[in-house]
Parts: sequence; structure tokens; C-alpha cells
Amino acid sequence: MEKELIRLADIAMQFDGEEVLRSINLTVRDKEFVTLLGPSGCGKTTTLRIIGGFETPTSGEVYFDGECITNLPPYKRKVNTIFQRYALFPHLNVFENVAFGLRIQKLPEEEIRSRVLEMLALVNLKGYERRSTDALSGGQQQRVAIARALVCRPRLLLLDEPLGALDLRLRKDMQAELKRIQQQLGITFVYVTHDQEEALAMSDTVVVMDKGRIQQIGTPEDIYNEPQNAFVADFIGESNIIDGIMHEDRLVEFCGRKFACLDGGFEKRENVDVVIRPEDIDIIPYQNGHIKGTVTSVTFKGVHYEFIIDVDGFKWMVQSTDYRELGSEVAFIIEPDAIHIMKKSEYSGMFGDYSTYSEAYDRDIREFDGEEPQEEKQYEAEE
Amino acid sequence: MKRFNRIFTVAVFIFLYAPILLLVAASFSSGTSLSNFEGFTLSRYSELFSDKNMLGLLLNSLIVALISSVVASVFGTVSCFGIRRLGRRAQKTVMTVTNIPMTNPEIVTGISLALLFVFIGQMLKLKDVMGFWTLLIAHITFNLPYVILSVMPKLNQLDRHVGEAALDLGCTPIKAFFKVTLPEILPGIISGGLMAFTMSLDDFVISYFVYGPAFTTLPVEIYTYTKKPLPPKLYALFTVLFLAILLVMIVMNIVQARDDNRSRRNKNAKGEITLTRI
Repeated sequence: MEKELIRLADIAMQFDGEEVLRSINLTVRDKEFVTLLGPSGCGKTTTLRIIGGFETPTSGEVYFDGECITNLPPYKRKVNTIFQRYALFPHLNVFENVAFGLRIQKLPEEEIRSRVLEMLALVNLKGYERRSTDALSGGQQQRVAIARALVCRPRLLLLDEPLGALDLRLRKDMQAELKRIQQQLGITFVYVTHDQEEALAMSDTVVVMDKGRIQQIGTPEDIYNEPQNAFVADFIGESNIIDGIMHEDRLVEFCGRKFACLDGGFEKRENVDVVIRPEDIDIIPYQNGHIKGTVTSVTFKGVHYEFIIDVDGFKWMVQSTDYRELGSEVAFIIEPDAIHIMKKSEYSGMFGDYSTYSEAYDRDIREFDGEEPQEEKQYEAEE
Repeated sequence: MKRFNRIFTVAVFIFLYAPILLLVAASFSSGTSLSNFEGFTLSRYSELFSDKNMLGLLLNSLIVALISSVVASVFGTVSCFGIRRLGRRAQKTVMTVTNIPMTNPEIVTGISLALLFVFIGQMLKLKDVMGFWTLLIAHITFNLPYVILSVMPKLNQLDRHVGEAALDLGCTPIKAFFKVTLPEILPGIISGGLMAFTMSLDDFVISYFVYGPAFTTLPVEIYTYTKKPLPPKLYALFTVLFLAILLVMIVMNIVQARDDNRSRRNKNAKGEITLTRI
């Protein structure tokens, strides 16, 4: 394990009396790729801006390499940022944009030249030195922004939804490229996104945030397989979340039946949330099933079908490669390793039932889930 | 219909520019009045440029126009930053209030300024308040809205993160302003300043109320001439003024056209992204 690089100690942030962040404690280790993931307004951008020095927290401290930098202005921090929508300098060409930070440091011309060219090669922009930044495509502008930040050789790079404005294919390419650059240069990345797939694909550690608080910190596998509460379970991937009662270790009751499971450590007869991922459910012949219901919706997804199955009014999402007809009676079994038990939280009962599920609606929400509203709030508060 | 349009356009241009062309022609005429064009001469110009008094007045006008437009550019730009930091509603209100003086009848502005100066003069027990300073203050006052009106859109266009990016790369706030923000809004400042300069150079109404005998500008002085027969050297002066203003306007258009080009290219680049997104 590398040593700690950034530590946020009990950070709280208020804008006009409105709590934006609450008791944020986070440690980022050297060379780690940490992603702050959450819906808009969850405080992830504010957290990033506090690390960058653009906001001063209402309370709490920021430590960089063991040193308290809470009140250090951005230009004195060994941190560089890649902003949403790039924020390139429009009056400078590609070379001068990248050279900007080095010119401020007043390095010798020769060194500037070689470092800028080296950086442009790293981001695959060789030969673009003299181009004007507004003659570049979105992806190219993004690369210039990356080169401009990395040429200063920061120990820590902050990225604020850097791929938000790119189309899907380009985004996938850039994800791979960012990961490559991060590993090649051995720089710590703190990455903000609302795209859970992006977070899972790129990060060493994912920090799930909502309502200004950290909901869970863990590896992508942990976050997906062992969500801590209904919010995390729902935000990362699809989940059926059912009320259950924990009878004893490794025995849980839900849907009027007792199931063997792998979790333990709860009180006797404690009320819990039970998470079952749609892909972990097996549909079997009607007679042999644990749980029986009616198919109310079928969607073909390519790799599999996605069924909504009504079981006594609770609608389950089930993914399976076998086709079932709409309206048919089906049954399914749930294996012990498919069951994940969570303690009750403030989010219990808010997620995990697909009764009101509409695919189009879900997609719209995810797509237009930019940071815009929160950002506006920030600026108004700032001023 | 097309032909009619064309004829109409030509007619409008004749209507607009015939008087000025006549003036230019008159400035080269050796006759004493406009009706008898006797021959080509440059003597009006030599007369003009040997008239120390007239040149002094022109210099006065230029000094006032230059200082007032530069001061208004600085004040206007600074206040734009202040206005931008206001909330959305306050910003709209302030912009409306700033624009009123532009549409306000000049005579009202002139008289109210005169009243203010006299009032302050009495309070400070000054004799002859009216003079260079009152004239300059008045000109700065009516120039300010033009600068603000021209800088504000540039500032709003600017991505707020651009300034932060400069800080991020090691600039102190002051350095960030001069290295990044200023170059971006400079076209707005220049065109606002030039507009203010021309406004100030030819202002008569407001100046008339706030000038003092010790310091007069050209337009005010010329007004006293119009009651007597106009000396022909004035035609030469007007021609020179017209050309000077024309030059300023051309420069302003070039600055704006360049800037428009750039922002259009910028938009195109962004358009590309949205297209690929679809």
C-alpha cells in the first residue's frame, strides 16, 4: 500500500446556510485512482473544488502529504485540475495552452518546448501545436486540457466530469486512455462522475456520495457486491431490494419464506433490506420455484432479456437469457450467494421495487443528470 | 420588386451621404458659398491648420474624448466584474438602470449634471465650477454605459472556469486577470472605448451645459459660429472630423468582425460535438 497523499478530515460545507457537505472523511493514497460518484447535487464537485482550493470548507481540514493546506490558495497547491468543458484559453493556440503553467513557473524556453511536445505526444496530439483551440473537436480539446494539467507534473490530478461532453464511443476510448496515462505517469487521480459504469471501470476506489455525505467507500467489486444501503445498491447497477427479517446468522426470511444466505452479524429478528441483483435470479419451471409470479414486461437487451415479474404486488427485475412470454406464470429460485443483506437505513423503502419502473424515464434521468443545478447554487453562494 | 429594392437602397444611401459629400466638396471649393463651385483648392485646409485657435479647440475635444473614454473603459470594465458577481435578478436590474442614461434625452442629462455641479460648487464655495473637470466628469458619466454595454456580453461569454484554470496552473489572481481574462474581454473593451471616444468627441448638448469659459470643446464653439455666416475653413474641419470618425468606426468594425469570426468558429467546434452525440 502506498502512503496517504490527501486526507479530508471532517469536512463540512455550507452555502447560504444550506448544508452541501456533511462530515466528509476521506483518505486518498499516492498513485490511487479514486472516483467520487453520485447524482447531481450530492456534493462531489464541491468536494473536488475543496481539494483544488477553489472553495474553503466551512469546517474541517484538508491535508496534502501530511501538511494542512485548508487555507492555501489554488496557485500554491501541487494539484492540477481538468475542468468540466475543458476551460481552455481561447486566445492561445494548443502549444501555448499546454505551455501556460510552465511559462508561469518561468522555466527556460528549451525545457518548456521539450516538455510540451512530450506531453502532446502522450495525449496523441503530435502536430497540433499551432492549431487554435476552437478549431479542435471535443475529444481533442479534452486532450489539450489533460496535457495542460499534466505538463506541470502534479502529484494529484483532479478531474471534474471530464468526459461528460463527449459521445459514448469517444468516452469509452478516453476512459481507457486516462487509465493508461494514470498508470504510465503514476499520478494520483481524483475523478468526479455521475456515471456508475465509468466509475466501476476506471477506479481503484469508488466513493459513493449522496445528499452531501459519503455513503460508501470501497473497491468497485465491494461497492457492487456488498452495497451498504439501499441508495448504493440502487445507484450502482440494478437491484431488487426487499424487506426481510434476519432470523439468525445465515438465515433470512422474505416473501414469506426462509432463505439460506452468507451474511451474518445481525441482531436476532432484525429487520433488514435484502438485495438481489437481477442477473443472479434463475427462472425455473413453475412447480419447483421458491417464488412465483407473472411476467408483466419483457425487454430484449441483446445479451439477455429483462423481465419485470409481479410477485404479490412487488415487482422484481430479472435478467435471463431464456425467453418467457408476457403474462406467463413463472417461478424463480435464489441461491444463498445471490442474497446480500443490508442494515436498514434512511433509504430503506425508497428503492428496489420496479413497480414504477419505466426504462425511458430512467435513461432520461441518468442522461440529464449533469452537475449544472448544483454548480449554479455554488456560484450564487460564492458571490 | 428586386429592382425596386435596389433603387430604394441607393436612394437611402444618397439621402444619408449626399449632405456629407456636399460638405466634402465644399471644403475643396474656392468659391465663397456652396452655390458657386469655382475651382479646386486646398486653401481651406491650410487656413484651418494655420488657425491656432481652431486647432486648440480641436485639441481640447481630443483631450476630453481620449481621457474620458479611457477612464470610462477602466471604470466600466471594473464595474462589469462587480455586476457579474451580483445575483441574476440584481444583475438585470443594474443593467437596466445603467442603460437608462443612454436613452435619456441628452438635454435632461446635461441640465441635471449642471445642477449637480453648481450645487456641489456652492457647497464647496468654489467660484466658476464649470470648466475642464466638470466637462470631463460629464463625459465620463455618459460614456460609461457604452463601455458596460459592450464589455458585459464578453464577460458573460467567458467560461468561469477559465479564470480558475489559470489559478490552477499557478497564476496569482492578478496574473490570471492579465494573462487570461483581459485578453478574452479586450475586444469588448476596445469597441466600447472607441464608441465612447466618438460619442465624447462630437457631444454638444451635454457639454453645452457643463463647459466653462476657460475650457471649450470644438462642438460647443462651432455652435456660436452658426449664428454668423460660416467661415469656409469649417467645411475643411468637418471633413477632417468626418474622416477621423470614419477611421475609428472602421477600426471598431474590424475588431468586432475578428472577434465574431473567432466565436463563430468556436461555436462550430461545439456544434460538431452535439452532432456526433446524436
